[in-house]
Amino acid sequence: MSSNAQERADRLATLPFQKSASAGRANVVEAVRELFQHRELLGLLVRRELKSRYKDSSLGFLWSLIRPLTMLLIYYVAIGQFLGAARGIPDFAIFVFAGLTIWGLYAEIVTGGTLSIVGNAGLIKKVYLPREIFPLAATGSALFNFAIQLVVLVGATVVLGQFPVSWNLLYLPVAIAIVLVWGVGLGILLSALNVFLRDVQYLVEVALLILFWASPIVYSWSYVVNAAVLADLPWLPAVYLLNPISNAVIAFQKGIWLAGSEIRMIDGVEIPPQPWPDDLNMRLFIMFVVGVVFLVICQRVFQRLQGNFAQEI
Amino acid sequence: MSVRPLIKNPPVVIRASDVSKRFVIRKDKSLKERIVNFGRSQKHKDDFWALRDVDLEILAGTSVGLVGANGSGKSTLLKVIGGIIQPNGGTVERRGRLAALLELGAGFHPDLTGRENVYLNASILGLSRGETDEYFDSIVDFSEIGDFIDTQVKFYSSGMYVRLAFAIAVHVDPDVLLVDEVLAVGDEPFQRKCMDKIREFQDDGRTIVFVSHSAGQIEELCDRVVVLSHGQVVFDGGTDDGIAALRRSFSDR
Repeated sequence: MSSNAQERADRLATLPFQKSASAGRANVVEAVRELFQHRELLGLLVRRELKSRYKDSSLGFLWSLIRPLTMLLIYYVAIGQFLGAARGIPDFAIFVFAGLTIWGLYAEIVTGGTLSIVGNAGLIKKVYLPREIFPLAATGSALFNFAIQLVVLVGATVVLGQFPVSWNLLYLPVAIAIVLVWGVGLGILLSALNVFLRDVQYLVEVALLILFWASPIVYSWSYVVNAAVLADLPWLPAVYLLNPISNAVIAFQKGIWLAGSEIRMIDGVEIPPQPWPDDLNMRLFIMFVVGVVFLVICQRVFQRLQGNFAQEI
Repeated sequence: MSVRPLIKNPPVVIRASDVSKRFVIRKDKSLKERIVNFGRSQKHKDDFWALRDVDLEILAGTSVGLVGANGSGKSTLLKVIGGIIQPNGGTVERRGRLAALLELGAGFHPDLTGRENVYLNASILGLSRGETDEYFDSIVDFSEIGDFIDTQVKFYSSGMYVRLAFAIAVHVDPDVLLVDEVLAVGDEPFQRKCMDKIREFQDDGRTIVFVSHSAGQIEELCDRVVVLSHGQVVFDGGTDDGIAALRRSFSDR
């Protein structure tokens, strides 16, 4: 036994001193490295979140599909048929579900992320972990739900014979990447702010509601362009496209919604293809790069604030 | 006092220098309250020093008791060492694998089964999946949970809950173990088992830092006592003198 102890002591003597955990991360690279070391835990936290959500319900994961499908039905009937949007937007169901799917990913990352630190107060007060892991776990579970919806969406396009076999499909990963950098950045930032000011979580709900209607999800991009012409507001489309998520939604639709890039006939009326923004590729690239910078800034703010989490929660 | 194995030239595993921690307690939490009280915010803030210029070096293989009256800063010091709280001033350095038994079962999710919680909690405490697989049977054995391991932990009795949590924690194989008032768990036989495990840890040359209110436990387990009072170290030395100093610090209050 005693030799055991001596071995341990000798081994410890050779180890370098480390600064106490939460003070030791001077830069983003360190934080990423630390998160990478905890990737197994991240996986377990994502599974915990998914498993516990529908644990005792008999329909289980189906619920994560029922919600977006219900929304699809509501928008299809109310906005598509009653308000007549479906007369100007071909394959309206695919169009709306595409928008709802990518928007759902963003909204779930941001809301889940915002609540994640306060929701895991028990752990944060008791154990040191790289705390970004909690918003990231929320992101993981959002991605899982997104994947299910994406399968349904792609399945629907195949069944309806509308699966787009074209290079436009490449817009899908680009849109997802933009949603991820902006969503995770906001999730991390807001999760930290929510610790100090609980109003943030209610503010997020309201802001997401506004942003939902400020993105071309239930109406198409052509409506925005037409409205700008009719109202003689030439600056409107440019301002509208300042929102990175609007760009991501448009890119996602361009990727999966075949009818948006073709001339279609609805009730004998010819519908031209969507007036996709000319510089969409460049825009997406810039949105992604700015998003990465934003994510890094959010992580720095988070790092500054997290030292006081344990006592403020 | 138990007999400790002798270690030649024990290295320092924890070094705290000039550690200070100030708590600011705001009485207004919502935006409305903050706006209403803006400018008069000093009135709505309280701050006090939970730790003030604490210097502490802990050698490998020792068992140190951190004691003091309520509010003396001992739990804060433990959390600063564990990296859960960042100090306002000073630094804490350490080496080796550190595990904190600050509260048993903090990472348990009531809706998951015992088995799922073992993997989750072990991962939180720093075990890899492979290591957990390896220790799994031993963890279940130690906890005496038996067939209930596949039941959701919300149906566990409080005793089963802490037994499982303790069983996970002691299988983490830390070099430094931080313990905050958690040893009084389970029934008497299980408590004895916990104490035996702690002794085994000491024989292995692991370093243990206890926070406890129980003088008896400190006397039994520690070979060094640090007494804190109002955030400062007022005594640092042997167990018997330490407990006397603790009693004195109570009467100073």
